[in-house]
Formats: sequence, structure tokens, C-alpha cells
Amino acid sequence: MIRFEHVGLRYGIGPEVLSDINFTLAPGSFHFLTGPSGAGKTSLMNLMYLGRLPTRGLVTMFGQNINKMKREDMVAIRQRIGVVFQDFRLLNHMSTFDNVALPLRIVGKPEKEIQSNVSELLEWVGLGEHMNVLPNTMSGGQQQRIAIARAVVTRPRLLLADEPTGNLDDEIGERLLSLFEQLNRMGTTLVIATHNQMLMDKFPHPRLILSKGILTIEESKFNLRKKLEGLF
Amino acid sequence: MKVVPLQKKEKVLGKVYGKRRYDLPLNNNENTRFLVILIALMSFLATLGLSGFFTLGAMAERWTSGLKNNLTLEIPAETKEGRLLSAEEMTSLTQAAVSILSSYPAVESHTVMSREDIQKLVEPWLGEGTLSAAAFPLPGLISVKTKPGTERKSLEALTEKIHSAVAGARLDTHESWLRDVLRFTGALQFAATLLLATIALTTIIAVAGAVNARLSVHRADVELLHLMGATDRYISRQFQRHALLLGLAGSAAGVAAGSLGLLAIGWMTGEMDVNLLPQHRLSLPQIISTATTPLIIALLAVMAARQTVLQALAKMP
Repeated sequence: MIRFEHVGLRYGIGPEVLSDINFTLAPGSFHFLTGPSGAGKTSLMNLMYLGRLPTRGLVTMFGQNINKMKREDMVAIRQRIGVVFQDFRLLNHMSTFDNVALPLRIVGKPEKEIQSNVSELLEWVGLGEHMNVLPNTMSGGQQQRIAIARAVVTRPRLLLADEPTGNLDDEIGERLLSLFEQLNRMGTTLVIATHNQMLMDKFPHPRLILSKGILTIEESKFNLRKKLEGLF
Repeated sequence: MKVVPLQKKEKVLGKVYGKRRYDLPLNNNENTRFLVILIALMSFLATLGLSGFFTLGAMAERWTSGLKNNLTLEIPAETKEGRLLSAEEMTSLTQAAVSILSSYPAVESHTVMSREDIQKLVEPWLGEGTLSAAAFPLPGLISVKTKPGTERKSLEALTEKIHSAVAGARLDTHESWLRDVLRFTGALQFAATLLLATIALTTIIAVAGAVNARLSVHRADVELLHLMGATDRYISRQFQRHALLLGLAGSAAGVAAGSLGLLAIGWMTGEMDVNLLPQHRLSLPQIISTATTPLIIALLAVMAARQTVLQALAKMP
């Protein structure tokens, strides 16, 4: 699904914010991306959703070498990725419904299909009664759910979420993670950037740990246990 | 997931039922009005410029058609030595000239102008009723119409023949005057064309500047659409549609104001007794070009918006 080989990123002529990043995410996998503030999580997410291109190294997504890809061909890759931004990035002049419908309109889905899919999804995330409301009149938690609904409405093959539980209380955060797991079971590959240690402990998935621009991978206790069980 | 109850403020705030959907909030900008006014002014000028272009063309056409194949034969009222010719002498010289003209193959017709006609010609310069045969000797004038396609050589031969029979006679082909006038109107038409080109360029620059400003204001939203997988064309269409609406609104208002201005000018010139100017009537090409001006300006605005947005998007990965 995603392969990073010796990837580095620097902004302008500054120092490298990501150095020699190597990892592979298998299709259908679920990873947390964690590390201290300023470690480069958002920069790594940025590379994964093609907001930036690496300054060195090789990035392969959906089996295609991004470095050699034409700019216009990246559109198809982006359409397969759903992103939940840390600051939601909702369009405040649009209703909740239109915000969530936007990715479907971009890919040219028929309006009838959009109506039913978006309504159903908004009901599912508990915003069925808020379809015609502007996002900036809603609470942080509600806005976050709109951002999540917008990211998953196209049923992306890869979902990247940057601190998706940051504005939510623990209970809603856990429910959200359950929703992500549900999506994962349906085949979506997930990378969740988070600081929330409790959540990571509760949902045992492998972790990509970034520190000072360098990435290490930590298998989840659950996976290790399964591997150990397989040995004996 | 539990349904969150509708908050009280949401019942009154932020409802957007039945609103037209724009991916980018391009309409929520004060600069929109400025751009519409600018486009309206440009369209107003374009309407006047177009009218000037066509009026100059009509003037040149009127002068050319009035003088084409027309000559004036002038028989001087005095000899080279300064002696005034008597009425009998004038009649005799006129008849000699008429007999040459009548027999010359390139001449289609000729008319000897009466003394009253000649008086009327000079009256605007010298005043009505001030002339008398004794007070002011007038030359003899014969208006000559040549056959279409008459060559310069043939006219030169006619001039020589006239000169041999009527000493001091002058055959005026109006050629040099006509050439100067046509050159002058041509230069004015060129100036009008330059004006129209400047208007087009100003419109393009103004729209490109406005679009750049909008791109800066909505950069985050544009980037968001880009990251969601919107094609460059999809994003530029947002700006194109906006530019089209503003362009049409501004240019329609400008052309309407310009047309009213032209009507006023037409009414004012209609009140004047100016024979040199053509009647202020709209020709079909002028009507068509004036009617299509809003579309052309809107099209320029759309093209400028498209190009500006595509250039800006090309900088994104």
C-alpha cells in the first residue's frame, strides 16, 4: 500500500525534518503514528497524503512510484486517500451536508447517490439533525465528526487521521476508534497520528514512532502475543 | 452513536437551506463589487471605442463614395496677368471645356454649375447675400463624373486637353485631399483599435489580479480541494464561473451605459447641422459587435481567471 525508502524531507534550505524514513504499510493494516510534538508527524502525514513531495528517497503508493509520477496522475492517488486534518479544515460557508458531500462531488458522483450516502453517513456519526447547519456554529467534537465523515465518505483505501481524538472526550474518542476499526475491517488501511497513550494501549495496533525526524516501528503487544502463541 | 440534540443557537444560526452551493466562498468578498465596477467602466469605454471605430469608418466611406469618380473643373475668373474675364469670355471658355468633356470617352456626365450654385458653395465662408457679380468675381465650375475604373493616365490626358483649350483651367481630382483624410481617419481607427486592445488588456490584468487576491485569501480551501483529489480544471472552474458571472454583470451594465451615452451623442449630433459627419445610425456590424461586447469581456475574464488559477495550481505538487 505505502512504502517509504530512505525518505527525507526538508523545508526550503532548513535542516531535514524527516531523515531516512523507511517503512512499509500492508493493505488493510492499522497503524498509530506517534511521537513527541515537533517530531515530524504532520510532515510525515503530509508526505503520505501527497501534500508535499519528499526531498530525497523513494515513495511508493498503491504500487506506483510517486517520484516518477506526473502531476496530473497524482489526482487518482489522492482520490483514494481520506484525510482527517488536525484542524479539521472544514469549509465554513457550506452546510455540514455539503462539506461531507464535497469529495463525492469532486469525483463526479451523481447527486442522487450523494444525497443518500451523505445522509446515511451523517446519521451514522450522529449528525443527522445537523445537515443544514454551518460547521462554525457547531462544537469542536461535532466539527471533528464532520471532518471524519468527509474523510470516509468516498470509502478510501487509505485513511490518514491527524490527532482525530484531540478535541473529543475519552468516551467519544474510543467510539471513534471503534468506528475506525470498523472501517479497517472493511478493508481500509489506516494511519492514525495521536499522542493519546491510553487510546493506543486500549487499541493494540503497531506504532510508527517518530522522534527527531527518525522513525522506528513497534509491533503491538497483541501482535507480539499472537506471534509468540504461534511459536509454541 | 448517540444523536446529539439540536442546540438552540443552531435553530437560528447557520442554517443554509436552499442556498446555491459554491465550493469556494468567492462571493463573500468586498473586492467583488470593485471588479464589477471596473469591468463596467472598461465595457463602457469599449462601447464608445467601438462606436468611434465604426463612425470613423462610416465617415471615410461617406467621403470616399461622395468623391469617387467625381472631378471638379475650375475655370479661373481672371487671366494669368490678373485681368478679370468678362461674362462673355467666361461663357466661351466654359463652352470650350464642355465640348471637350462631352466628347471624352472616360467622362460619364458633367454639369455646369450655375452662379447661384457657386454662391451657395461659398456662402458658409463669406456670409449669405454678401456676394454680387461685380463685388466678387466667381470662377466657373463644372462638376464632372467619370466612368468607373477610369485610369489616372486617362485623367492626365483629359487635363492636358482642357489646358490646351482653356488656359489656367484646373481639374481637381480631390485625390490628395482624399488621401490625407483617409490617412487621418485610418490613424484614428488605429487609435480606437489600440484603445480596445488596452481595454482588453486592462480587463485581463484586473481579473488576474483579483483572482490572485482570491487565491491568496482562499489558499487553504484551494489546497484542501487539491488534496481531496480535485483536478486543476475542477478548481479553476470555480473561479471561471465566478469570473463569468462578474464579467457578464459588469460588462452588461457598462455596455448598457455606453449605449445610452451613444444615444445621447446621436441626439446631440442630430441637432447639429454638420454635413461632414455621417448620420449617426447604427450599422449591422456595430450592432453585432456592441451586443457581443459583454460576451467577449466575460470570455476574457474567464480566460484570465482560468490561466491565473492554473498557473497557481501548477506550483502545488
